[in-house]
Amino acid sequence: MMMEEIKTTIIDRIKLHFSDAVEKEFSYNRLDFSVKKETVPSILFYLKEEMGFKHLSHISCVDWLEEGEFEMIFILWSPEEKIKVFIHTRVDRSNPVMDNIDMIWRQANTYEREMKEMYGIQFTGLEAPEEFLLEDWNGPPPMRRDFDTEAYAAKTYWERPGREDALDVRETVEKRTGEVLPEFAKKYKR
Amino acid sequence: MREKATTLYIGPQHPGITGNMMVRLKVEGDTIVKAATEVGYLHRSFEKLIEKRNWLQSFTLLCRFCVPEPDPVEESYARAVEMIEGREVPERAKYIRVLVLELARIGSYLLWYGGQSGSLGLYTVGQWSVGDRNYILDLFEALTGARVYHMYIWPGGVRRDFPKGFEKKVIDTMDYLEKRLDDYDDLMFDNAIFKKRTKGVGIIDKEKAVEWGVVGPPLRGCGIRSDIRIDDPYEIYDKLDFIVPVEEGGDIWTRALVRRQEIRQSIRIIRQVIDNIPGGEYYNKVPNPQKWALPKGDAYARTEAVRGEVGMYLSSDGSINPRRAHFKGAAYVHAITLLEHLLVGENLADVAAIMNSLGTCPPEIER
Amino acid sequence: MSFDLKGTLKPLTALKQFGQKPHTLTNVPFIPREAADRYRGLHYNNLDECIGCGNCSTICQNQAIDMIPVDGIEGKNGDSGLRPRVDHGRCCWCGLCVDVCPTGSLSLTKDYVYVSEDANSFLWTPGVDNPEGDERVSFFSTKETSLNDLGRIPMPELEGMERIKSFAEVVLGYNEEQARAEASRCISCGLCTEACPEHMHIPEYINAIAGGNDEDAVRIIYDNNPLPEMCGKVCTRRCEDICAIAHRGDPIAIRWLKRYATETVENADLLKEIINPEIKEPNGFKVGIIGAGPSGLTAAYYLALKGFDCTIYEANSKAGGMTMYGIPRYRFPEDSLDKQIEYIQKIGVRIHFNTKVGKDISFGEIYHNYDAVFMGVGFPKPWTLGIEGEELHGSIQAVNFLYEINNGKKVDIGNKVIVIGGGNVAIDAARVSARLGADVTILYRRRVQDMPADWEEIEGAEAEGIHIISQAIPIQFHGDEKGHITTVEYLKAEMVPDEHGGRPKPIAIEGSNTVIEVTAVLGAIGQQGDYSFLEEEFDEKVKIERGRIVVNEKQETTLNKLFAGGDSANRIADAISAIADGYRAVKGIEELLMKGK
Repeated sequence: MMMEEIKTTIIDRIKLHFSDAVEKEFSYNRLDFSVKKETVPSILFYLKEEMGFKHLSHISCVDWLEEGEFEMIFILWSPEEKIKVFIHTRVDRSNPVMDNIDMIWRQANTYEREMKEMYGIQFTGLEAPEEFLLEDWNGPPPMRRDFDTEAYAAKTYWERPGREDALDVRETVEKRTGEVLPEFAKKYKR
Repeated sequence: MREKATTLYIGPQHPGITGNMMVRLKVEGDTIVKAATEVGYLHRSFEKLIEKRNWLQSFTLLCRFCVPEPDPVEESYARAVEMIEGREVPERAKYIRVLVLELARIGSYLLWYGGQSGSLGLYTVGQWSVGDRNYILDLFEALTGARVYHMYIWPGGVRRDFPKGFEKKVIDTMDYLEKRLDDYDDLMFDNAIFKKRTKGVGIIDKEKAVEWGVVGPPLRGCGIRSDIRIDDPYEIYDKLDFIVPVEEGGDIWTRALVRRQEIRQSIRIIRQVIDNIPGGEYYNKVPNPQKWALPKGDAYARTEAVRGEVGMYLSSDGSINPRRAHFKGAAYVHAITLLEHLLVGENLADVAAIMNSLGTCPPEIER
Repeated sequence: MSFDLKGTLKPLTALKQFGQKPHTLTNVPFIPREAADRYRGLHYNNLDECIGCGNCSTICQNQAIDMIPVDGIEGKNGDSGLRPRVDHGRCCWCGLCVDVCPTGSLSLTKDYVYVSEDANSFLWTPGVDNPEGDERVSFFSTKETSLNDLGRIPMPELEGMERIKSFAEVVLGYNEEQARAEASRCISCGLCTEACPEHMHIPEYINAIAGGNDEDAVRIIYDNNPLPEMCGKVCTRRCEDICAIAHRGDPIAIRWLKRYATETVENADLLKEIINPEIKEPNGFKVGIIGAGPSGLTAAYYLALKGFDCTIYEANSKAGGMTMYGIPRYRFPEDSLDKQIEYIQKIGVRIHFNTKVGKDISFGEIYHNYDAVFMGVGFPKPWTLGIEGEELHGSIQAVNFLYEINNGKKVDIGNKVIVIGGGNVAIDAARVSARLGADVTILYRRRVQDMPADWEEIEGAEAEGIHIISQAIPIQFHGDEKGHITTVEYLKAEMVPDEHGGRPKPIAIEGSNTVIEVTAVLGAIGQQGDYSFLEEEFDEKVKIERGRIVVNEKQETTLNKLFAGGDSANRIADAISAIADGYRAVKGIEELLMKGK
């Protein structure tokens, strides 16, 4: 298997240089590494310069609120080997600071602006205008899981009148049959 | 004598701009010395909304990420979901998906004809091509039930099978289009004005293009053969016979040439799909959408759109809602990093033409 | 740069387009173009097919759909009475509402033009406000395209011919994965709760199972049904008949899911721990309960929770009543209720087994010793056919037959058995006979589709090689000189439509006499009450009509402080309505005794 060989080589080389990298293999042309956040710039630089992962496909962030961490994902593509590498790292949610990597890939600047605005992650040394997608925004970073869009919408906007007569199907039937739903069961309503 | 710099704003309301976006330009005379892209006119928070919806409901938002060519977004989302779940897609559905994607590509290129020629004052070809795009939209209407927001490619396959007589309709439309493309050539590619205004304008450096993550026709216009359909094939692209056109030069002209050839390749693909499409199921039904939970995991699916790489990063925590859906569009690079750099030193009158040649799509940035 | 002659002339070829037919629309005034056959335009709803389940409203991510009452549509069993109203200002025409509609009543039409200055007029009730949409339907769902999960997760069962080798339970029960998958099919509309006589909280416990919270499911089930294992195995499940998904597919296996949830709890101690019931301080009132069947047990359980001191008198050695002694072991194994009975006893209910009222203890004694009495005595006496030869040896009543078999006794039925009747008792008797090695035939007056028995039971019987002769009316049993039955004579019947609109009646065809040889006949045409235990002083005061004790909506009889429920008091006569009676009686007894407290 060609792809398997390529993957093994990548894993070996990465593990040799970055002792904290934990790999996870996927079928076909995807390979994941989890690293400490301090390792991110160096592993990205190494992958780009030494291993042909020239193309930065995507940078994403996931809020794992329950675990108190942000997960950052860097997706790289090697045009020669035709393989994707995902670099995962975890950032402490209470002190979300990451290294800026826009000197490795210039376009990372835009992604970092987005992460900064939407998740409140600070990138040390990031040079960019303050505002990106939001304007005059004073609230918490809106993509964080604890930002309640529904509450925000209810506070900011109002319902158009004329739809107050809507009924709940389950409650209508309940009322008709005299069924009394206990309090603890209510969370299982649709 | 050094002229005094003036600040000008292009957009967010400007016919040359492909959406709601603004470029702040610093000009000296009519030469641009600094450009900065400003966005924030269209933020709809789709990604946050998707987190609140279940896996199937989300798919109705996807087509709104980019209006001219919504299908690659649907495709990326569907494929990412399928990757996480390990859901098989029937062979027929794969063919239909490719047909839809290629039709969308043609439709989007026809719209681009309008934008690119219009930005240079050549309105006739734009009127023709946008009119002809309606025949593509007719096909979409017959197949999906809607002209623009198709909401057709969804996890597990496609939503409905071909309507009666659809194959013939597609072939007839392709025959017609192929003839029309020659008319476009007469008016656009053979046009002295077009040649003069595009050659040597908005040159992208080949080395920088790769490094900055330029994708799609702008990258191929720099002489680099890069196409996700070939490099990282999905659906049935590895079974199809087509070529990825490449032009050396990196200016508006070569990007236009690449697109011109790609339409013909798309027609070629569509003919192959119609000839070879197998029978059978078109949809591997997902469970009851209300309670359909995906296993824990993540996936990144990417699709080649006319704008380049259109990707969807999905993360699932094992529940009925996506944990995170992060869209990747080429515009992050093309309309910000690249455009800001490319406009410097260009003539003010060429801004719209350059933007159109990059295929920027502001809704992709804001979502 | 040199002059580009070609580049200057070529564009002029555009002039050849002059005189060509324009591509644009030329019809003025503007007439909207006819949309494609699959167009997703304005909504239409077939109001008669719609059941008001609200699934469209749930899937709509724009919250564009409200469920509202509509003039002229009354809610009924299986129909909430509400209909969707669409806010066309919010709709994005995705058509998901159409694809999830379980009946297929909702569709989109070819109409796409609606113009009005009044923004409020964009709130429409499809079908009510556009009845003409019927003709214009274009985007609709079929069984094939439906997003509902139509196929039931098959229940693991013993093979048909394997079954008749023993009395082992046929249904094996869902495992966890199967239960989650089956529960995930539910759309949680809750219409089923109306069909359930006890109005159990069905969507909630199914959702709990789907979400992997089995303990919560058990808690929700026990909120108004203390015998879920009984219902989980043998309920007549009226809920499944009207399940929204059943309009196009298999209903959600509500009964099996309940069974799954209860089976996850291993013993009575665990059950008590999970349910963690709130037991009120004793209030000093004593309630006597006659019969440990479903209604009596239910009344006892909820009364005990409310602090009443409950004592049950049961004639048999095990609780469960007709479910325990009338239903064969392959459907309802002997130990099915052990856990639940133990749990009910744990919370303070006393049960005196082998104590027949009227024989071991008089009704009067109970009536005078307790502050209130609940009676769930069932229908123990079978109806007879009333034809010649019924007294012959080998002509047995099916209920008695099942009772004997369930008590571990032997009944000699020989190898060729005829069962007369079409209810569950008839099928049970037939399937038990097959397990005893007999060749079994069922005679039924009407058609197979008219049989009141559970369709799964009928299918089960057929899988086990039981023949059904429908439209057959027995007229006489013949016997030999020793008084043993030898043949059954019956007439073929034809179905004659009822002029009053009722179900068709079987009318015997003269001269179509047929005779079958038999070794035994099991009669199963129904049972009746036996109230001989009521002493004279009560006999007159307890009003009985057509064999049933007359009760009010609180299950109170005409005799003061006497309540009744179950088969002897309701017409439906199944376990779940008996449970419902018991549950209602609790409220009645509480009101009666706690008045002024």
